[in-house]
Amino acid sequence: MTADDPTRSPPSPAAPARVLVTGLGVVSSIGLGRRAFFEALAAGKSGISRVESFDTTRIGRDYGGEVKAFHARDHLTAAETRRMGRCSAMALAAARMAVEDAHIRPSHLGGPRTSVVLGTTMGEADVLGDIDRAWIARGVSAVRRAHLPKYGSTLLPIHLARAFGTEGAVIALPAACAAGNYAIGFGADLIRQGRADVVLAGATEILQELQYSGFARLAAMAQQRCQPFDLNRQGLIVGEGAAVLVLESEAHAVRRGATACAEVGGYGLTCDGYHITRPHPEAVGSIEAMRQAITRSGVTPEAIDFVNAHGTGTRANDAAEAKVMHDVFGGRRVPISSMKSLIGHCMGAASAIEAVGCVFTLETGVFPPTAGYETPDPECDLDVVANAARTAPGGVANIVLNNSLAFGGYNAVACFARPGVLPEPPTLEVL
Amino acid sequence: MLPRAVTGVGVTSIVGVGWPAFVEALRAPQPLTATGPRALTTIDLAKYPNARAFEVPDFDAARTLGPKGLRTLDRLTKLAVVAARLGLAEAALKRDNAFVALSPERVGVVCSNAYGSLEAITELNRVAKLEDPRYINPAVFPNTVANSASGYVSIWENLRALNVAISDGNCGALDAVACADIHLAQGRADAILVGGAEAMHEALFLAFSLLGTLDHPDHVRQVGHLSLGEGAAFLVVEPQRIARARGARVLGEIVGYGTSFEAPEEGSTLIGPSGDALGRAVLNALGDAKLDPSDVDVVCASLSGLHRADEAERAALERVFGSDGVCVAAPKLVLGETLGAGGAFGMAAALAWLEGARPATVVSGHAPDEIDTVVVTSLGFYGNASAVVLRRPQG
Repeated sequence: MTADDPTRSPPSPAAPARVLVTGLGVVSSIGLGRRAFFEALAAGKSGISRVESFDTTRIGRDYGGEVKAFHARDHLTAAETRRMGRCSAMALAAARMAVEDAHIRPSHLGGPRTSVVLGTTMGEADVLGDIDRAWIARGVSAVRRAHLPKYGSTLLPIHLARAFGTEGAVIALPAACAAGNYAIGFGADLIRQGRADVVLAGATEILQELQYSGFARLAAMAQQRCQPFDLNRQGLIVGEGAAVLVLESEAHAVRRGATACAEVGGYGLTCDGYHITRPHPEAVGSIEAMRQAITRSGVTPEAIDFVNAHGTGTRANDAAEAKVMHDVFGGRRVPISSMKSLIGHCMGAASAIEAVGCVFTLETGVFPPTAGYETPDPECDLDVVANAARTAPGGVANIVLNNSLAFGGYNAVACFARPGVLPEPPTLEVL
Repeated sequence: MLPRAVTGVGVTSIVGVGWPAFVEALRAPQPLTATGPRALTTIDLAKYPNARAFEVPDFDAARTLGPKGLRTLDRLTKLAVVAARLGLAEAALKRDNAFVALSPERVGVVCSNAYGSLEAITELNRVAKLEDPRYINPAVFPNTVANSASGYVSIWENLRALNVAISDGNCGALDAVACADIHLAQGRADAILVGGAEAMHEALFLAFSLLGTLDHPDHVRQVGHLSLGEGAAFLVVEPQRIARARGARVLGEIVGYGTSFEAPEEGSTLIGPSGDALGRAVLNALGDAKLDPSDVDVVCASLSGLHRADEAERAALERVFGSDGVCVAAPKLVLGETLGAGGAFGMAAALAWLEGARPATVVSGHAPDEIDTVVVTSLGFYGNASAVVLRRPQG
């Protein structure tokens, strides 16, 4: 090993690379994998059902976006299943689907030029929950030692790195409900800065008792339906799932003859610095995050064809998001829709799964529907894609935004575009 | 990476709160293996009479933050916010908690933490299990998300540029440097608080204890176990031209970052610290800094006393620097293993050495009289490793 080690990173390129999405994988309550998921989005299928994985009788709510069709063993080896919890297992399954979708060979993934970046809210909270419950109810001797090392969120990307033989950065970004956009944005940055050629980027979250109880206790949870932007919306429905995108530098994709399904544009990142759960009353951080996503993609608000909403279905969020839309787009009514009406709020995984929804829109020219939209709310005066999927004008959507506005005042907005439609990436100011 | 200026450091550590106290403590370090048991507030010593865990002594957030609004904050958040506030003052960005340089919209946070608020999560799990899930405290619930401490830093310090939480186990605080560097390069902030936090809690202590990693009073001086610590450290990191333009004092510069991952053998357990990954991370960091191993004066290693990990790291450092090589110091033997905050304390120690303190706990080689270049390492438990290069400010 010497300083001339070939594994060391090459210097940053002068012109930032375009970042392409060349594959996607998704584990969701409306389908596993690209095909099932896209068909379900087009059909407006609901994944919300009665929760079965834990006892809800004392919680006062019993519906969620539980992924009942996911069985780790269908996607993982026996050894992998033993050494990881459900949260990691869903991420690894989504990653395997994404790698297959990208037709990328293991030799293109192994080594120091591939990184893994995954977001989450609470990671393997069930692992910790089991440990806590055994310890609390039956004492230290009831804790299973083998369970302990499975908890840390750092493991989420590490399980993927291990499965694919990657040697680049392994990064876990817990960014509450904005985690998916954080991971995809940062993954794209690693490529733009020349620190990676390929990044497996996404997010994962499980439905679990503590988070479910917490949202019920915050009185933020609807009974059976999540109805974003509707006058009578009752709150969110908690969901779960995972999504992983294969991000590649354009040069790398061209070299291996890959087909891109989308380009990752710029993204906006701000913090309200206001309150841990409530959005800022003036929504300044959210507005700034959307504006950053647009300008950092080298376009203007007029170029945006569709917004995949954060749209949780709570009174406060949806009203704030409507205000943000008006501030950013002025009088122009840009179509907006919330997939959370179909799959619930998948927390950390939400914006990663919704990013896959953005790719769906770019590939098909179809906006996914917002289910349960019955009575317009004057406070949310928006062009909501109500109840049925809608074909974009001319059948083509070129540039879309993916909103996430989260706990902790975390705002992350990502831009995705059909390959080739964005202008050359702006040369980075040397700072 | 372009050199980044470090203009201030804030710490809440087991050897003291605040940068001056930290530097002073590192001038006369007391290895924890030679330290007797200390009083603990987070762990009931009646239940664990021999607990050898180390807290920030007499930690009282109100001394720095005032008495208001602290009730629902957990210990992790308090350690982080106090360190952040002290760091911002140390960097002369704030005076009396008001901005005197730069603006709130242009200052961000990248905060590492490995295990989240075990205090909040365990408390709510306890209430749900023993009482009723309907009784969990809604004011505590937001603290269960893994980015809550990081989020509170922005709220308390009024920082409205990006806020990124990072959870890469022991490597997180060094990976935070890479993250901050990228965001500075993209012009997302003029200054970023970069660091990490980890808080002592009974669940953390128990987990490490059950895994057989902790020091025990029956073999206090025996090599092979780590001393679990806690604390938070933040570096105020800025592009050089911004630090220069505002006439800031520069403690040191961050000039390189590297990371690597090496999977444990198939079928083995999850835990497998990799010396190969660490060696590659160091070389990548030196390559990033355009330096050679021979340019390094001191390695600020992540040696914690944990036998298997330490063996892997020592062997890797020998491969990179040669057997009669470089001075290796291990500040964790003084500061404790602080996990997600470990790399931040490593960088803080390195900056103290660049300021003239002698390296704490040298385990091999000799430190030169003048220290210009330090490599800080972090070895993860699961096969990841990262390294950062710091040097004395040039010109």
